[in-house]
Amino acid sequence: MSAPILELVGLKKSYGSQEVLRGVELRVRPAELVCVIGPSGSGKSTMLRCCNRLEEPSSGQVVVDGQDITRPDTDINRVRQSVGMVFQHFNLYPHLSALENVTLALRRVQKKDRAQAEAIARDALTQVGLGHKADAFPAQLSGGQQQRVGIARAIALKPKVMLFDEPTSALDPELVDEVLRVMRALREGGMTMLVVTHEMAFAHAVADRVVFMDGGVVAEQGTPAEVFENPREARTRSFIGRYMDAKSASPA
Amino acid sequence: MNEANSGFLFTFFNPAVAAQYWHEIARGMVVTIGVGAATVVTGVAAGLVLALARATGRAWLRLPVVLFSDITRSLPPLVIIILLYFGLPALGMPLSSFTSTWLSLSLVLAAYAQESIWAGLSSLPKGQMEAARSTGLGWWQAMRWVLLPQALRRAVPPLTNRVIATTKNTALGSVVALSEILSTAQASAAVAGNPTPLTVGAFLYLLVFLPLVFVARTLEHRSSNRN
Repeated sequence: MSAPILELVGLKKSYGSQEVLRGVELRVRPAELVCVIGPSGSGKSTMLRCCNRLEEPSSGQVVVDGQDITRPDTDINRVRQSVGMVFQHFNLYPHLSALENVTLALRRVQKKDRAQAEAIARDALTQVGLGHKADAFPAQLSGGQQQRVGIARAIALKPKVMLFDEPTSALDPELVDEVLRVMRALREGGMTMLVVTHEMAFAHAVADRVVFMDGGVVAEQGTPAEVFENPREARTRSFIGRYMDAKSASPA
Repeated sequence: MNEANSGFLFTFFNPAVAAQYWHEIARGMVVTIGVGAATVVTGVAAGLVLALARATGRAWLRLPVVLFSDITRSLPPLVIIILLYFGLPALGMPLSSFTSTWLSLSLVLAAYAQESIWAGLSSLPKGQMEAARSTGLGWWQAMRWVLLPQALRRAVPPLTNRVIATTKNTALGSVVALSEILSTAQASAAVAGNPTPLTVGAFLYLLVFLPLVFVARTLEHRSSNRN
């Protein structure tokens, strides 16, 4: 079994007296797709945001490709190029075209010249099915298209692992599939992905491993079959139950 | 033309008086433009630096900026001009009337520009900075390429209004003997015993500020179209 590309060790995070993460342990191996599910307030997003230190952990370690990035001498801007992130609300830069959204970090962080950056960006946009929208501004794109540009912006930097923070939660239902399809394609291309999601069907069908978080810890994890069809913990059962009930009520 | 009308024209639109004094007042216009332009450059630049200092979120930078801004905006600009012109020589730092007017109005404009740019920055969603940082951009790079371009666009309407208001306040320099439009017009009117030079002055103010107002309107229009 290969070494993990992302590993959380005893990760804790508090806001004042409120403990949001209470010792998260998690390992993500190369080319693995791990879906994180759990009730709101269970610390899923906070955990994810600790993985590129958008949130500073209170204690514990975040190890990316063998490097503990919580050490104070870490060059975090360097680390972040290898940890891509996709946000719930897309967070595209509204004053820049789709192409410029993708080239910005290529040019300003990786110091590529314009032609080289644009070639990489067009590749990334094509990969998410938006090669023809390179010159569109975010306001001219649908939510699903914006999120795909958000994915292109992250993958253009050739990250070792991608973090998805509820990537489809802000989308109208009919736009969810196009984003999930792009994520499936990424997974088939061998991308390592850690996905916080409410899309149970996606987690069930596509994930290599499902992690159920509750109360700031990993309460249970396993293959989708284990977690969805045969959960060990009562709280997992009750959380999963609603999805499984709906599924059996309307066979897809 | 009745007598009342011709009296009015003789008093305020006297061609002989205007011809005699307009050179003097036009020189004042050059000074007005000079102080005004210098104030816009230093005031907006200083306001930008202050807004950035405040945006770092560090208390030792943020608190002095807020304090400076609140005090400066609470004082009448005229008071600041008088303080600098008459107060600093007592401290061994005499300032010319040009310098004290320029410096005072720059401080005032810096405070207001800082507020406008800060308001623009803080109106942006937090996700903008986070997205930029998540791709490896440093704080300053994220500011420079993602936040400032959006914030400045939002700051344009309040900023242009304040630029116009502050540059018109160059007239306050007349109190410390700055030979700008108002003070040269007043002096000429006193010498001539006729207020026509003030009319000339008003005309020159329009000549300077109408184009500025027009440019401001165009800028505002463009910024609102692009938002």
